[in-house]
Amino acid sequence: MTSTALKGPSSPVLEVRNIVKTFGGVTALNDVSLDLLPGEVLCLAGENGCGKSTLIKIISGAEKPDSGEIIVDGNTYSSMDPTDAIKSGIQVIYQDFSLFPNLTVAENIILTSAVADRRRLYSGRAARPAAQAIVDELGLHLDLDADVERLSVADKQLTAICRALVSDARVLIMDEPTTALTHTEVDRLFVIVERLRSRGVGLIFVSHKLDEVLKISQRVAILRSGKNVVTSPASMLDPRAIALHMTGQELDETRHVSELDAQSEIVLELEGLGLRGAYEDVSFTLRRGEILGVTGLLGSGRTEIAEALFGVVPHDSGVVKVNGTPVRLHSINDAIDAGIGYVPEDRLTQGLFMDKSIADNIIAGSPNEHTTRFGTLDLRAVRETIQGLFARLRVKAPNVQAPVRSLSGGNAQRVVLAKWLARRPRILMLNGPTVGVDIGSKAEILGILRAEAAAGMGVIVISDDAPELVACCHRVLVVRHGRVVEILEGDDVAVDTIREKVAA
Amino acid sequence: MKLADPETKPLSRLNDSVDAGWTRLLGLGRIEGGVRRMLILVVVAFAVFAALKPSIFLSGTNLRNIALNSPEIGVIAIAMMLAMLTGGIDLSLVAMANLSAITMSTMFTAVAAGDPALAEQLFPVILLAGIAVGVLGGAINGLLISGLGITPILATLGTMQIYNGIAVAWTGGKTLYGSPSALTAIGSSTVAGIPILFYVFVLVAVAIGVVVTRTPLGLRIQLQGANPTAARYSGIASRKILLSTYVLTGLLSGIAGVLFIARNPTASADYGASYVLLVIVIAVLGGTNPNGGFATVLGVVLATLTLQIVSSGFTAMRLSAYQYAIAQGLILVAAMAFEQVKWRRRLRSRKPAVQPG
Repeated sequence: MTSTALKGPSSPVLEVRNIVKTFGGVTALNDVSLDLLPGEVLCLAGENGCGKSTLIKIISGAEKPDSGEIIVDGNTYSSMDPTDAIKSGIQVIYQDFSLFPNLTVAENIILTSAVADRRRLYSGRAARPAAQAIVDELGLHLDLDADVERLSVADKQLTAICRALVSDARVLIMDEPTTALTHTEVDRLFVIVERLRSRGVGLIFVSHKLDEVLKISQRVAILRSGKNVVTSPASMLDPRAIALHMTGQELDETRHVSELDAQSEIVLELEGLGLRGAYEDVSFTLRRGEILGVTGLLGSGRTEIAEALFGVVPHDSGVVKVNGTPVRLHSINDAIDAGIGYVPEDRLTQGLFMDKSIADNIIAGSPNEHTTRFGTLDLRAVRETIQGLFARLRVKAPNVQAPVRSLSGGNAQRVVLAKWLARRPRILMLNGPTVGVDIGSKAEILGILRAEAAAGMGVIVISDDAPELVACCHRVLVVRHGRVVEILEGDDVAVDTIREKVAA
Repeated sequence: MKLADPETKPLSRLNDSVDAGWTRLLGLGRIEGGVRRMLILVVVAFAVFAALKPSIFLSGTNLRNIALNSPEIGVIAIAMMLAMLTGGIDLSLVAMANLSAITMSTMFTAVAAGDPALAEQLFPVILLAGIAVGVLGGAINGLLISGLGITPILATLGTMQIYNGIAVAWTGGKTLYGSPSALTAIGSSTVAGIPILFYVFVLVAVAIGVVVTRTPLGLRIQLQGANPTAARYSGIASRKILLSTYVLTGLLSGIAGVLFIARNPTASADYGASYVLLVIVIAVLGGTNPNGGFATVLGVVLATLTLQIVSSGFTAMRLSAYQYAIAQGLILVAAMAFEQVKWRRRLRSRKPAVQPG
């Protein structure tokens, strides 16, 4: 990966020196210094709340540092404002890409730079060639006339990259660029990244995903509690070392599965489940105390199967048995009544009431389980449940009245998990349980799942994160084109085997 | 990162427990945005008029009038708040209240024509019939919204026209006279100097406050309004919740109808025509989020009192109803502008939504 020739012994395109930033007495950044060379990929890693987003905001001008300086191309700034940042060629691509969904790709690529130039009239015809030029230069196959809302996540991201390049980005900062992408899409993104590097663009990746980070970056800078604890060539680091620097403790991603009694009862059984156009002939069993992994590419049918079991989009053939009895799963309430819980993939819209308090979110699924004999809420029981789960799942927040919006990804996911644990379902399905979650939280969430399984719950983890599946699952089911093609057990549950079967 | 560590910050922990204590004490939700703002507004409005025209504004008659005018508007505003809590709206509230009042008056007059004593005795039945009309109207709204999935503003706009039309056709556009004397007696008497109707208002407010904050139904109404998708994924049966909510707003309209006829033994189709929009103003002023999910009964009660104080203050100053309408609008716009400024300040401290390229 370091083979790409850099254009001469260049000086840094971006440097930050001794940045300090505090928010109301809490130090977010404590004397952080970094530099970025042209044509380099620097990975900025760290747990949620370590200060990386604050640092990005300071570089892009969204926040002002208390002290320190930012040097772009030899010009020193004590603080940036967004216009300065863009003029100096600094571009940030956030996770949501900030695109206009109802406009075409070409319009999205051109529009913001046209606005920045204060052009009052916009000509679609004049815009196209400029957009086309960028797309061709990067060798992309993007339909310039497609509406952005119809694009896949990967293509949206490419549109955002093109938009940044139209305004001559020299520093491109990408927030979690790989989270929403499949393995093949990540590989494609990395090809584009190589092309950007050869143009002399310096890239900063903000990421949780350690193995991917190591593949693409030349250097890794790790923040912990607002301090830059290490900046080192990527070749000198391995995932374990990065995790150690990020958390300050050894990360346990080794396989940890309980001994499963072969006699333990079957809590869930699927026989020939099918839905026209989505999946067919899906059969498997789940035992009490078992953690079953379900994996496959995006669009393979893995999410659809989970949604059928939760009654979101009911199946049209086959039988589902819970504890040996066939159950009707025509609605979400059917599924919940059958004792099935579901932590959805889209945590922000499906899982959480963002502006409501942690307390309201935890109790959202089980108010009827906490009533007095008059039918009112038993406030004492409610408080006990909320406080118990808040403490047990170690949600990091000042108190349970804090709105969920103020929480980091890992803590928000704990709240969704708490909502289900408050109900004690027999079967809990989790779709992408650790997407966008920092590694410390990830290990803890897996630990909670192991504990719940050990206490008798049947757990299904739907994920494309192979190491995570290996870490916690007894068996792993591989879905391809709507069919279960493989059920891996025992020693076959290994990262390489899973990846091979998924991609085959 | 921005969160204070509770272990190292005893002061913040103290603050939290004080806050929690208040919450429990009031039992009507946290003192936040709406309630705090309304507490200030109600005091300011009272102080301003008391200073400008103390002789008239502070007179017993005027104060009793405020207490007598507030209940009917307040009960309808609380109903509006409930509809808005689910992210909806109910434009048919006043029409349902009038229909309920007309039902009661008609029933009384019909029975009294034969046997006046019996009509007085049937007072509780007549009362229940009036409230039942409200519940029925609310149930129809609920079925249209939850069953057929019609947008609340359109469904209730339609039923408002229907209920209103029925009332006009029924009364021939005339004002009906006659109601049980017991009801009129309740409407005109006071306990400890405060009109009984005002106690009814407080009772309704407390009851709805309990429903919203202390029952599974209330929690679900809030969550449904806060995020319908997440509500569905949490096993909240949104149809049942919406139906219950609109039945509840219908019930409150029925009660408002009783308040109408208790104040004046008359009923007509066009009574309180100005209330339809006024109660939206009150609900929003009281901190109800029109997008759903957030509202406090206390805020709405205080907003009702504020507007009544301003209204009677204007009367005391011999200003016209039109000038009062202007003031109403100004108060709403000012309160919303204040909210927007605060909101924008909060947004600014977060990541910018759109990165200019």
